[in-house]
Amino acid sequence: MIKLLFFTVSLTPAATLLGWGEGLAWPLFEGVRLTLDLTPLSAFFLLLLAMAAPLVALPMLRGTADSPAFVLFGLLLLGMQLLLLAGDFISLFIGWEIMTWSSYLLLLRSARTDLETAQSYILFNLLSAFLLLAAILVFYRFTGHFEIRTAAGLTDWQEILLALLFGLAFLTKVGTLPLHLWVPRSYDQAPDAFSAFLSALVSKMGVYGLVLLPTLFPDALAGLLGRLLDGPAAGYLLAWIGVVTSIVATFKAISQEDMKRLLAYSSIAQLGYITTAIGVGSSLALGGALYQALVHTLVKLLLFISIAGIVLRTGQRRFNDLGRLMERMPISFFGVLIGIIGLAGMPPLPGFAAKYLIFVSLLDARWLLLLAAMVLASTAAFVYCYKLIYAPFLGHANSASAKTATEAPWQYLVPQLVLMGLLVGLGLFPGLGVRLLIDPVLIALQMDPLGSPSWGELVTPYGGYDGVVLMVVFGTAFVLVTGLFFLLRGRMRRAGSPYDLSYAGEVPTAETPLHYGAGMGRELRRIPLVGWILRHSTQGFYAALVRQTRTAAELLSGFYSGNPQAWVLLAVLVFALALQASIGGI
Amino acid sequence: MHAVLDSLAMIGISYVMGFLFYGFYRQFNARVQRRWGPSIWQNLFDNLKFFFKSETLSHGPMFFFGPMIIMAGAFTTVLFVPFLKDSDWLQGFSASGNLILIIYLLVVGPLGNALAVGSSGNPYGVMGVTRGLTRLMGLEVPFFLGLGLVMLQHETTSVHAIMAAQHDVAHWGILTNPIAFAVILLPFIATQNGSPFDVVGAPVEVYAGPRVEFGGRLLGVLMTQNMMMSIAKLVLVVDLFLGGAGNFLILILKAFALFLLTAAISMVFPRLKTEQAVDFFWKVPLGLGVLGVIAAVWLPWST
Amino acid sequence: MYHKSQCEGFQCEPGLLDEGVDPEDRQLGPVERLVAWLRQKSLFVLAYGTGCGAIEMRPLMTSRFDAERFGIINAPTPRQADVLVISGYLALKTLKRVIRSYEQMQEPKYVIALGSCTINGGMYWDSYNTVKQVDRYLPVDIYVNGCMPRPEALIEGFVALQERIARGEKAGFHRYREKIDWYKANQRRVLGEMMPPDYTYDWYHAGGIA
Repeated sequence: MIKLLFFTVSLTPAATLLGWGEGLAWPLFEGVRLTLDLTPLSAFFLLLLAMAAPLVALPMLRGTADSPAFVLFGLLLLGMQLLLLAGDFISLFIGWEIMTWSSYLLLLRSARTDLETAQSYILFNLLSAFLLLAAILVFYRFTGHFEIRTAAGLTDWQEILLALLFGLAFLTKVGTLPLHLWVPRSYDQAPDAFSAFLSALVSKMGVYGLVLLPTLFPDALAGLLGRLLDGPAAGYLLAWIGVVTSIVATFKAISQEDMKRLLAYSSIAQLGYITTAIGVGSSLALGGALYQALVHTLVKLLLFISIAGIVLRTGQRRFNDLGRLMERMPISFFGVLIGIIGLAGMPPLPGFAAKYLIFVSLLDARWLLLLAAMVLASTAAFVYCYKLIYAPFLGHANSASAKTATEAPWQYLVPQLVLMGLLVGLGLFPGLGVRLLIDPVLIALQMDPLGSPSWGELVTPYGGYDGVVLMVVFGTAFVLVTGLFFLLRGRMRRAGSPYDLSYAGEVPTAETPLHYGAGMGRELRRIPLVGWILRHSTQGFYAALVRQTRTAAELLSGFYSGNPQAWVLLAVLVFALALQASIGGI
Repeated sequence: MHAVLDSLAMIGISYVMGFLFYGFYRQFNARVQRRWGPSIWQNLFDNLKFFFKSETLSHGPMFFFGPMIIMAGAFTTVLFVPFLKDSDWLQGFSASGNLILIIYLLVVGPLGNALAVGSSGNPYGVMGVTRGLTRLMGLEVPFFLGLGLVMLQHETTSVHAIMAAQHDVAHWGILTNPIAFAVILLPFIATQNGSPFDVVGAPVEVYAGPRVEFGGRLLGVLMTQNMMMSIAKLVLVVDLFLGGAGNFLILILKAFALFLLTAAISMVFPRLKTEQAVDFFWKVPLGLGVLGVIAAVWLPWST
Repeated sequence: MYHKSQCEGFQCEPGLLDEGVDPEDRQLGPVERLVAWLRQKSLFVLAYGTGCGAIEMRPLMTSRFDAERFGIINAPTPRQADVLVISGYLALKTLKRVIRSYEQMQEPKYVIALGSCTINGGMYWDSYNTVKQVDRYLPVDIYVNGCMPRPEALIEGFVALQERIARGEKAGFHRYREKIDWYKANQRRVLGEMMPPDYTYDWYHAGGIA
């Protein structure tokens, strides 16, 4: 009963999205009104929420009803809807806080969450919230209202200050380097189904905020510091931050030995692409950013739910302890397969459409170095994608539980099947996604819509591609090749044992370490750049910062020698210098 | 009907060109080493020999599907690269694709095959795949940057448009954008699994490689797709830098000239380890690419 | 070059195996002849360096002797190889690996035994742990005699093998498939405990169809 109720609650975002009529408003105090309204931009993110909520709720329903978690999840949904519908900053902030606290409490419900994780989660999110609060108050001070609309009549410096405050608040939520410390820990240790929600949805609220910024300051990116090549100079910095984030996070992801931690780092990297695209700021780039947000939501839901199924059935989460689950969990295998194809941005699936838009937007802005850096991140992503499918599903079963696991329960499989269908459908019809989801938002942001002549085609000024033709050609080729080969296969013999391997003349046994699992990507450290990145951690960066500050303070303290004569001498010197400066100045 | 005939022609041509070019490569290699070498048909013999093996070992369905995926990927790649310009023939489905799509298509097949390698359970195979992905990570950055320079120069990602812009010799990409050609040349050899960078599937000596478990007819499929994919890549570079080809004869000539250049480079350099290769790509071709970008967009006189 | 087609003494034992078997009709159809011709044009060699003969394998591929002009080239793994060259004497340890490698090759597959040691033990004729007659454990198609045979002799052996393949004669792997029990009994006698597990060869009994 309570489960049914909970599932109904999880459908509320969908109901909100479909049933939303007029904008609501009620006065709060003098001259300030709370307004709730559905703009195309918020509708886009609300759609993601509406799609994801029931899919995440379904796996949570399994087992005994955990009513506190259900309540918190409902509260989280409420907070996020409030956040998305908010027409003014007060309701936005209320929604933000509800989201932060309910997700924090949900995170605490996992038995694996340790103190450090909880602390880092709440500290960074509070930092984000306070930055947001500061930004809102400064905004009020400058403009005299709380409404989320174009702020007119600000000086350049006011705009920079506001953009910096808002930007930092949202970038913390997105998990940009070096503000990402809370992400890998909490995604890893959160309850398994809830990790999907954290990665797919909660982080998207940061993206929502970042996309909101151009609404506030329409030409902030372009007008602030002028233009660099064919893009906004201020965005150039943001774009580099995004790309560096994705490169570093990608290499970190490769070196992880835990499935969920790998996915957490890959989330950071994928959101780095979105940050880059927002930095470019053209309509192509924003289209790409939204598309990437959409794809990332679908892919991360799919992957986290599939991985949750594996963890549920085997109790193992490390790459070393799994293997050969392909035959035991075939549907989860296909889930992860489709997931990594989307994650890597391979052509038949929509991940490619998103990447394509972002690449083209970088070309359009003539930011080629960023393009190269992004290609580095997205190619290196193949390594962790392969690790993600190889280590759990292929190779050899490396633990007792991996040898006896069974397919995940239906509560996990139904969301996977739905998500696989959505991904394949979007891959077939990239133009449909643009037409239905992206273009309305771009029009509302007063940008040129991307437009698409047909469902299957994705069109940009730089050329496009046809998803249907691609899929049909590939599918036909595959069917023909397979059919032909199967007819002419000759005498095909199935290996008598998993150990029937070409192993340098040896006969491996169950004791031979045959699973490559966690070792994959370890040799990447021999490449100087990768080795350098992996040797340094962000915590090390902060520690070094502390060390440097201490050293600087020690150097400064050398002036305070305790000798009065030195003091007087210093004072005279400073005074004389100041005098000289002021005279010279006048 | 036209599309079907056209596709079959493209697939057939890329196969025939593939084994002849590689047969020539072996012959050429032998002459450089002052020996006679095999006949030019040797690659065809090898390939057919594998197709006529009477026994094939399989490690289960995924192992079987891997080579099928890579073959389908090779067909798709071939069909998305326009072979001729200003012609109705040998176009495949290239009108529905673009350069970035082709670059990604080049990788689809090998990744599909990587699944098969993983499902065989042979750690040496997976080691080879990891090496391949690592090398890919190294070569793709300068390769993409070089092609990015071309796309920027013509302000399009369409291979047709880039080909059409090179209407005479003076407008060939190799002359109008020589830096881009220099940037992509070495990564291009690596995408072909060419000699200094061929540690991944080292044909003769290295035990650990993606093909360690494949034998019999499945290996024949892998060989076939490799030859076809090489031709697709050669034709792509011909389209982008050598002005494409108006007819079939010119296509063969240009592709052969390019192949001769890459083969000559392959022949004289010793093999690099994977991480050396990656480091090399990130230093020399990428450094050159960065210089190219500076010349193309940052300097005041650049448009 | 000296060719000897008749066996002597105990060497005839494997040959006696064939006596009960009906000689197949050796007439090949045109397609079969084409396939056989293609097969002989391309031989991938798994060079098993068991003894000193291995040193003769290296010059074979280099510019001086250039075996590649016969379509002979090295293969890295047994799965890809057509010809197993046993280069020199086999100790019990190496015998086990050679058997394993041979069974992992895909048919049609051939064995060339190199050097006198593979025929009768050669200079190790009284050694306690050297296999005297490889043919009792693996079906050898071509012996190349000598201690050591020069690379030219090895090339001669390859060419002889190619002629046999082109004629479509019954090769060693047929014999191995038909007489698997005899070979396995011999192997078990010398390997004993070290015998590879059953799954490595029991598909020979099952007819080998997946």
